[in-house]
Amino acid sequence: MIGRSITAARPPRHVGKWERFLIYMRKYWFIYLLVLPGLICMIVFNYGTMYGIQLAFKDYSPRLGVWGSPWVGFTHFQEMIQDPSFIRAFQNTVIINVYKIAFGFTFNVFLALFINEIKRKKVKSVVQTCVYLPYFLSWVIFAGLIQVFLEYPSASDLGGVVNQVIQSLGGQPVDFLKEPSMFRGILTISNIIKTAGYSSIVYFAAMAGISPTLYESAAIDGANRKDMMFHITLPRILPSVAIMLILELSGLFASNFDQVYNLYSNYVLSTGDVLSTYIYRISLGGGTEYELSTAMNLVLNLGGLIVVLIANKFVEKLDVQGIF
Amino acid sequence: MKRNRSKKPSIGRRTMLGRLGFNFYDVFIYGFCILFALVCVYPMWYVFVASVTPYEEYIKGGLMLWPRGGVDFQYYIAIFSTKSFLNSLWISVSKTVLATVLSVLVTSTMAYAVSKTHVRGMKVINALVVFNLFFTGGLIPQYMLYQDLGLLRSYWVMVIPGALNITYFVIMRNYFTYSVPKELEEAARLDGCTDVGLFFRIVMPVSKAMVAAVTLFIAVINWNDYYNYMMFIGNKTELQPFAWILRRMLVDQSMMNTVRNGAASLGLQTPPPMALRMATIICAMVPILCVYPFLQKYFTSGITLGAVKE
Repeated sequence: MIGRSITAARPPRHVGKWERFLIYMRKYWFIYLLVLPGLICMIVFNYGTMYGIQLAFKDYSPRLGVWGSPWVGFTHFQEMIQDPSFIRAFQNTVIINVYKIAFGFTFNVFLALFINEIKRKKVKSVVQTCVYLPYFLSWVIFAGLIQVFLEYPSASDLGGVVNQVIQSLGGQPVDFLKEPSMFRGILTISNIIKTAGYSSIVYFAAMAGISPTLYESAAIDGANRKDMMFHITLPRILPSVAIMLILELSGLFASNFDQVYNLYSNYVLSTGDVLSTYIYRISLGGGTEYELSTAMNLVLNLGGLIVVLIANKFVEKLDVQGIF
Repeated sequence: MKRNRSKKPSIGRRTMLGRLGFNFYDVFIYGFCILFALVCVYPMWYVFVASVTPYEEYIKGGLMLWPRGGVDFQYYIAIFSTKSFLNSLWISVSKTVLATVLSVLVTSTMAYAVSKTHVRGMKVINALVVFNLFFTGGLIPQYMLYQDLGLLRSYWVMVIPGALNITYFVIMRNYFTYSVPKELEEAARLDGCTDVGLFFRIVMPVSKAMVAAVTLFIAVINWNDYYNYMMFIGNKTELQPFAWILRRMLVDQSMMNTVRNGAASLGLQTPPPMALRMATIICAMVPILCVYPFLQKYFTSGITLGAVKE
């Protein structure tokens, strides 16, 4: 309040524009000073990359540089649409994301509901400690853990735990990570194990806000705990569920580079290659299609931006604070 | 007993378990949650146990719950006698510290300034920052930029470009806007406190816990990061971070052979590749496990919910 009233006090009339600016600066110099390092970083490292986007419309030659290279219009975008590997990566991305939403998202909600039902404080906090932990491990570490469990036996090694168990039961070992039909399943399940606990925190926050009197009166009316979970807890956290679902849907075209890059191999490209890994492979990861990869990135970014803006509109409709 | 099982245990009715203080509903809930918790942590425990199990026991395989036949650190000796491991640990530690300190300083000061929306320009700056969450130039433009700035193939590409962390900018901005009591600032102003004093003597001490938590989060991100090395440094092995070593242990046969031959020349049993991978995984995990208790203390209290706070 005080700060605002100082702002409202205008300098005398005869003061010029420049002087008024100086007075304003003198008053708020510290705030502007604080914002400065971040502002510089943002302009250099975030907006600095934007000038490179013109590569999407150019034929890059290292000799001429980014500015000097000749314009070629929308050639690369046509190339992109006709590229079967791009179409495949696009389909894989969307399918994997649908799996993640259908199974992963539902799992998160139920995990939160179930953990909330644990009445013994000690058990609850131990369970929470365990399920949050995988989120903090990187996908490299996680890919290592998956390999330890699913590796195919070789001459110098035993193979993964799962294959050891299969073999001891008399079955044939399976090379899980090289089996195209299983790859999406592995992505979905590993994603659930890694992120389900952490994603459920949002719902715990919403559950903490439910008034205990609701449960008390329901108990008097003879409701059992299952009824309470579905008729009190679930409806009360539904707004949070809706927001999370919208945010999740807004990432429909986004792909988790870290996860896929650390788990895939040439054997599973048909079902596992996603947009981010494809864009990487054709450019820095061995290819030389710099312009094409920039063009793809531009289209994806624009598409993603539109979806997010629409999603944010929905979130605002839900009467909660949006992203912006 | 048999009759009891064939009867469908229903909620409210007192069954065998009911007499012990449980009912079917509880068993299901507890069973599900404990099972999932085990799925989350058992792989890590298994990897730890297997990596300290002596070779003779290790090759018998199976689900290990406890180190059988004593504890043996031969795989750790094998990886740490490889020169590139120690070097990469040093790179990882130093870049994590530098990048984290820089990032927290830049991000927190900017977040505080932008939370003062009554100051002209802050709303615009906020919109400009948040826009970057959703729109970036992409890999190649980034590469070209770093090339022009001379950051390519340099140590600093792992430190400087991440200085402004936009996700944590949003979280910290929301914290400064909603969670620092307005009354506190007003009272300080009435006592004649300037902006500078307000920031250093009121806001920062009040937000200590939040800043500490964000620091740990950013430190974990930096420790886990190998992307900048992979994209912008490439094959300069003297700069590789530990996360990249781990990645190479998982996929790079020549790296694996170097370590195995090194172990053999030390007079150790030539280690199985998987055992060496497990030891590397444990080394990459230890720092995260060390800070995890502190992380958990803070993120459950809601700081990470900034973006979807009601």
